[in-house]
Amino acid sequence: MAANYWESTQRKFWTFTRQDLAQERKKLEESERSLVNAFPMPDRRHLSIYFSNQLTKMARPLAIRQQAMATAQVYVRRFYTKVEIRRTNPLLVLATALYLACKMEECPQHIRIILAEARHCWDASFNDISKIGECEFTLISELNSQLIVHHPYRSLAELQTQFQLTQEENSLAWSIINDHYLTDLPLLHAPHVIAITALILAVVLKPTQSGYQLHAAGVANALQTLSNVGNARNAEGPGFPPRLQKLIDWLAESSVDIEAVIECTQELISLYHVWDDYQEKAVKDAIAKFVKARD
Amino acid sequence: MFSGYHTKKRVNERYKIVGFISSGTYGRVYKAEGRNGRVGEFAIKKFKPDKEGELQYSGISQSAIREMALCTELSHPNVVHTVEIILEEKCIFIVFEYAEHDLLQIIHHHNQTQRQAIPARTIKSILYQLLQGLLYLHRNWTMHRDLKPANIMVTSAGKVKIGDLGLARLFYKPLHSLFTGDKVVVTIWYRAPELLLGARHYTPAVDLWAVGCIFAELLSLRPIFKGEEAKMDSKKSVPFQRNQMQKIVEILGMPSKERWPLLAAMPEFGQLSSLAAGNPRLHRPQGLENWYQNCLKNNQYPPGSSVDSPGPEGFLLLQQLLEYDPQKRLTAEKALQHPYFTTGEKPSDNCFEGSKIKYPCRRVSSEDNDIRTSSLPGTKRSGLPDDSLIGRPAKRLKEK
Repeated sequence: MAANYWESTQRKFWTFTRQDLAQERKKLEESERSLVNAFPMPDRRHLSIYFSNQLTKMARPLAIRQQAMATAQVYVRRFYTKVEIRRTNPLLVLATALYLACKMEECPQHIRIILAEARHCWDASFNDISKIGECEFTLISELNSQLIVHHPYRSLAELQTQFQLTQEENSLAWSIINDHYLTDLPLLHAPHVIAITALILAVVLKPTQSGYQLHAAGVANALQTLSNVGNARNAEGPGFPPRLQKLIDWLAESSVDIEAVIECTQELISLYHVWDDYQEKAVKDAIAKFVKARD
Repeated sequence: MFSGYHTKKRVNERYKIVGFISSGTYGRVYKAEGRNGRVGEFAIKKFKPDKEGELQYSGISQSAIREMALCTELSHPNVVHTVEIILEEKCIFIVFEYAEHDLLQIIHHHNQTQRQAIPARTIKSILYQLLQGLLYLHRNWTMHRDLKPANIMVTSAGKVKIGDLGLARLFYKPLHSLFTGDKVVVTIWYRAPELLLGARHYTPAVDLWAVGCIFAELLSLRPIFKGEEAKMDSKKSVPFQRNQMQKIVEILGMPSKERWPLLAAMPEFGQLSSLAAGNPRLHRPQGLENWYQNCLKNNQYPPGSSVDSPGPEGFLLLQQLLEYDPQKRLTAEKALQHPYFTTGEKPSDNCFEGSKIKYPCRRVSSEDNDIRTSSLPGTKRSGLPDDSLIGRPAKRLKEK
């Protein structure tokens, strides 16, 4: 991990305990009680899947890099810890977050291109660059200009060399990192913890499964292995393959917070569970209702 | 947002503008005092809108975004402290701590007013503090890319602070080569040879070259490599800075493949041979050591090591900073461990310690003190334009 994460605004201002995060959100909902009651929202993870799909749709024709997508998703998640979603037009927030993330990640896109793509993808109600420009002010202001985001990809690249991951394992770990942006994990844990989680899952799961959505059962196995890490230190030949043994030994000796890794794994399992029930239309309609009501 | 952007902070409620300090391609800088319980003096940078007279939100420029993000993230005693950022009605204001002096002004005072050299211990302290700030930036993966005397602030307590992160960038895992996106980087006199030779992937070493140039300028009171900038041609391709390269070679001699193994891989390598043709001076370069000895003599620094002279260690440090090969050039970390700093007395963290010289205060023009509605930036004004203290043209080209 680069030395600078420890002094970063991400660590100081945008990493929460689960309790604090729940508290923040509750406060926000309380302040908008009638709005919240009038417009029920789907599971937050379904919302995140929808957001991610919409960003992908917009980003693909522009060939925008994954890192900018990840940054955009983190901006959106941070933003909605401070602003009640029903007070906003989420598609405008998405387009703006992507526009801003591209500038921060050194792959800028012209505001007109972003607007055109947003209108093409969503037939969006906003039709002027000034809407995105204005939303950018709101976004930066709510994020307190803290725009530098540390991602797990860099830690993964370091670990990859250390553990000599195969191409398949590496791309599996990479897609697990992509998936974690659909959860609250980016607000809860340091990027290197996420990277280690992704690495373990990728090595434990035989990357034979195609598609990037993992089976919950596979992850559960991995979890079992993990909780054995503590015992494995003394265990004599529990039958782990050598590469896995090397990883387990390293984990046991490193200062990595195993509890945190287990928590991340559980969060991912539960993501893959709820993913099965995802229906785009339900999310889209829920959003359309409060957007329309305010138009 | 449905209800539009509502500012939470207003610049005029929080600060009283005292006057105008400078302007540049980015916008304008004002001096201000705190209001409503905020104590102290501040420098407020107001960003110019993308297009003049912009009445609409049109998206914030990438360089402004970079500067806002870096200023928020970074915090070190030798980097100008950012107090807050205010977004108010289509304008962006970055509020910095105020510094009474900068190196350009200090050099000018010695050169024009005092007509005597900067005390050796002042120089040592300045350089030591500057390198500590730079080490911090580099450890945080930030290249400054535009170090020059005008961008190095000095407070009245003698604290040196690196300012103007307007061109700074993060350098880990660049998504695109760091060359793309920015046409030109670093004021030409402080530009590293690998940049002049068209390097596509440059490194923090560019900042160390600039530190070398600044060290030389503190010693001699004039820029060591004062080249004339070749302007962009109509095709907007970046021209080879022939004259600047020539100034460097006149003192250091031609770079060689022996000393700089990757030299021949530089895109503009071919230009070097044409540079030498028909210019006999390049074949008999002055040599950095001669330049240094002349400089000590002219500025009456005693020879040999003492508190009153940069001494032979100073030469070695300068030589290792002005090293052609960026891979061999000293890093900020190594420079701080150099004998120049470790022999003799420890560099002070107040660069004015033991000095009786009084430097003039920063010039502030009171003609323009309405930060919200003042005439748009870019309009010619009577205030001091950027870099104008000793009649330098603003060298930085607008970012594309």
